Amino acid sequence: MSDREDRLRSLLDKVRAKRPDERATRAADALDRIRTASGTTAAVQVQSSRPAPVPSSFPTQLPASPLPEPPTSPALESPTRYSSQPPRVERPLSVGPRARVSSGAPAVASQSRRPESIRPQSVAPTGQPVIYATDPPELPRAKTFGDLLELTLSLRPR
Amino acid sequence: MHDGRFDPSGFYEFNLTDGMVRARTGERVVILSEDVLSALVAAAARDGDLTPLRRLGELLGEQVLGGLDRPASVLSPEAVLGHASAVTALFGWGRLAFERWGSGLVIALRDKPELDEDELGAAALLGGMFSEISQRQVSCVPTGDSKFIMVDFEVAETVWGWFKDGADLPAIVGMLEAKRAS
Repeated sequence: MSDREDRLRSLLDKVRAKRPDERATRAADALDRIRTASGTTAAVQVQSSRPAPVPSSFPTQLPASPLPEPPTSPALESPTRYSSQPPRVERPLSVGPRARVSSGAPAVASQSRRPESIRPQSVAPTGQPVIYATDPPELPRAKTFGDLLELTLSLRPR
Repeated sequence: MHDGRFDPSGFYEFNLTDGMVRARTGERVVILSEDVLSALVAAAARDGDLTPLRRLGELLGEQVLGGLDRPASVLSPEAVLGHASAVTALFGWGRLAFERWGSGLVIALRDKPELDEDELGAAALLGGMFSEISQRQVSCVPTGDSKFIMVDFEVAETVWGWFKDGADLPAIVGMLEAKRAS
């Protein structure tokens, strides 16, 4: 402490010789801070070690727990992804109803990618209206508007 | 014998003296701009009450029935579509078409006025129209791309939920199956 004080004192003298006003004042301030350094430092340490008041809603545990991992590819297959269903639309019309797919038929590539698709696989339209795309033996061809109406109004969730 | 053709002549009666326009069946009609109608329908959709649109659809259905000499149920789908699409066009609601997806009857309404984003206004209109035509309570549920699947009103809410969850028309059809009434 005394060495630094001596150095600063000599520096202060030099500065006073050149600029007695402004710089001398700054150096004097620095000297005063050094003189009281031990007491000031102790005050700061005491203040920082004191438990600061924290609001009850403050997430005190946040730094301790790591941030969640960025979503990986499995996470992307949750609900937001099943809406488009491009693989199923690309399936040819010849693909049969659900019974054929689930009765041991080899899975197509798209199914192996998404084995737990929540959408049924029984319809294979290609984006165009398809007549008798599903269950062809059960569906009589509608001769009248009434037939068409009966068919569509008989639809219920599987 | 009905020839299946729709005659649009004299469909509207313009009474300039009294400032009225009436349709062929006597209903007074008012011509609205698309912007005004869109605002009204959007407000109705927000409030969850599309009854006026469904009532308007029923009026269109009455116009269709007025042009048929037999019940729609015994006519060919083409004949019913011919009259329904003509009335729809005369009221400026766009081009109507039928599509069949599996057992489901899908109604396409192209070039319709731009109303609410979810197309619930058009759905209510079509539901009222085809309920009147078929003399049964039906619902037309939006499935995107100006297409509406016609289903029993009891399953309409479920189908609508599927669509809102992201299911497209093929997926919706795949989740439905025809069940015969016992």
